[in-house]
Amino acid sequence: MFSLDLLLQAVVSGVLLGGVYGLVASGLSLIFGVLRIINFAHGAVMMLAMYATYWLFALLHVDPYLSIVVTGPAFFLLGMLIQRVVIEPNRFAAEHNQLLLTLGLALFLENLALVLWQGDFRTVRPAYANASFTLGEALVEVPRLVACAGAVVMALALFGFLRLTDVGKAIRALAEEPEGAMLMGIDVGRIRAVAFGIGAGCVAVAGALVTPFFYVAPDVGESFNIMAFVVVVLGGMGNFVGALLGGFIVGLAESLGATALPGSLKQLVVFALFVLVLLFRPAGLFGGGRGR
Amino acid sequence: MPRARVSRRVFLGTVGAAAALGALPGVGRAQGKEVRLGYILPVTGPLAFEAQLSLNGLQLAVDEINGVGGVKALGGAKLTLLPGDTQQKVELGNSEAARLIDQGVCALIGPFSSLVAYSVRQVTEKNKTPFMLLAAVADNLTEGGLRYVFRVQPNGKSMATLTMNNMFEMARAASAPVKRVAMMHEDGNFGTTMGNHVEAFAGKLGYALVQRIPYSLKSPDFTAELSKVKAAKPDLLVISGYYGDSKIIAETAAKLRIGVNALVGLANAAYSNPKFIADNRELTDNLFDGNYWHNPQSPRARAVFAAYEKRFGSTLTSHGVQAYTVIYVLKDALERAASADRDKLRDALARTDLADHILPQDAIKFDDTGENVNATPALLQVQNGKAVVVGPARFAEAKPVFPVPKWHG
Repeated sequence: MFSLDLLLQAVVSGVLLGGVYGLVASGLSLIFGVLRIINFAHGAVMMLAMYATYWLFALLHVDPYLSIVVTGPAFFLLGMLIQRVVIEPNRFAAEHNQLLLTLGLALFLENLALVLWQGDFRTVRPAYANASFTLGEALVEVPRLVACAGAVVMALALFGFLRLTDVGKAIRALAEEPEGAMLMGIDVGRIRAVAFGIGAGCVAVAGALVTPFFYVAPDVGESFNIMAFVVVVLGGMGNFVGALLGGFIVGLAESLGATALPGSLKQLVVFALFVLVLLFRPAGLFGGGRGR
Repeated sequence: MPRARVSRRVFLGTVGAAAALGALPGVGRAQGKEVRLGYILPVTGPLAFEAQLSLNGLQLAVDEINGVGGVKALGGAKLTLLPGDTQQKVELGNSEAARLIDQGVCALIGPFSSLVAYSVRQVTEKNKTPFMLLAAVADNLTEGGLRYVFRVQPNGKSMATLTMNNMFEMARAASAPVKRVAMMHEDGNFGTTMGNHVEAFAGKLGYALVQRIPYSLKSPDFTAELSKVKAAKPDLLVISGYYGDSKIIAETAAKLRIGVNALVGLANAAYSNPKFIADNRELTDNLFDGNYWHNPQSPRARAVFAAYEKRFGSTLTSHGVQAYTVIYVLKDALERAASADRDKLRDALARTDLADHILPQDAIKFDDTGENVNATPALLQVQNGKAVVVGPARFAEAKPVFPVPKWHG
């Protein structure tokens, strides 16, 4: 049952999905690196971005990819707002309280979506939704390819931003040495908000990228959120490049698992990987992150 | 978080007690004028949309009955629906059921989730309250010698076996017999039950189950799984899933040129769903689905559809049809019992023989366990943007397109 064609298909599918996992996880990892909170609302923010993409498409006929120009910055601002209003006031609360806070935020956003737009599934189908080609014997769906490429470009751009700009350097400084950063005169409050905003912006871009081949529903973020957590642990909490690489590893593990093993064991492969990494390399495969 | 849980229980208990107290004088006053029916549905949470479709069906039937003089044997008593929200949670199902029973409902309707139903039936049994299952398909819900549980719709077993049977007869008539079957199903209770029946039925009907792939609902990609299906060269791909997953599977199958004679939903939440079809016209064309449905030959069904469309601005779905039917089964039993007493109602329900209904089956009758003995799923196919009945033959409104050319690409 394990022919070369199946293997090739699994690799292609895994890589394509892995890029998206990587981008979602990058945002999560950045937020963790700088704010030291595990943001359970990450998937819910992605869901909101997918609705934004949907409505822009449905009402104004804006192409999902083009809509990133609007949703990306908008969700950056929304992220900053969430950080200012919800996260920052609880900055000194016990860690488990902050955890519960983001979980509560996730539930709030999901139920808000349910009230506003019902549990109804919605789909965005631009003309190219069905476009695909074959690579050898493997099917490559164009929207998934675009999503993966877009995710990688976005992640690299972010990496460059963190390396080259002053704000980026400040973010890394804060992740590495919060007190030192404060002493050096970095506006810590603002940088924390910017980091959360960037995290939200990342996941918004990821949301827009997956919408053409996915569906939109209030609980849709969960599909990616859980995987993003696995990816972040795999890549090392707060390790940015690790998140992107971890995305590909999880994507591949999932699709190779689906090919080699019967049934829903593919999830088992991913979560087994998760547990193993936590047991033997708690700092992640690529080292504990300090905004690298 | 033990503390949070206790406080929620206390809260719910308090609310329930308060509501019950508030309702008590009402029961006394309203006797002879109103018959209370309670529903417990996941009206909030991930299944809110489907629950609303059922709720619409319940409401439509209740208002129809009240509009033409209520329950005649009870002096024209009006039916009243009392709401309960399960959020798909077992503990909420139990507490909501108990609350509604306290408020004097003579029957409970619900609750979608088989898991919730399994637990609630203990509450209804203890309180001797008829429990009309809605959208809960697990076979074991009527097992265990219960007296108060009734199910109008086909259970998991009849859904699976009769659908496979319908497909087989159709394929034989089209001289393209089915020998190899692949099955993909979500790995929860619903999908697994369906998978087990399709597997168990293979020997009886004489097909080989060449692939059986349970999958997680939350999985965003099924390319690897469907490649395996394609490599197994099945004649049919049977899919038991919910909305989003079923959509992605059909889409990926189309792109892979999966090479089967038909994609067949089994109690699939998407493939015969009017909204799914409207949103995905080319994708859904010629999809099959074995599902709860109405009888398209019935003039009454057409009238109900028109009334629903007028009132809710959308097409009545199978969830709504089932809900609508349950209210009429209850009404019929109330008329014969000439009483809203739960025990008398239960006995009348057990003697149901209701021929005037909108389902694709003979008269509604219950066996000793409370299952509708004639319950039948319809075999549907999407043709020209609409799911039409193509089997069983006596209810069919159109000829099936089979084998479906497009899956061979």
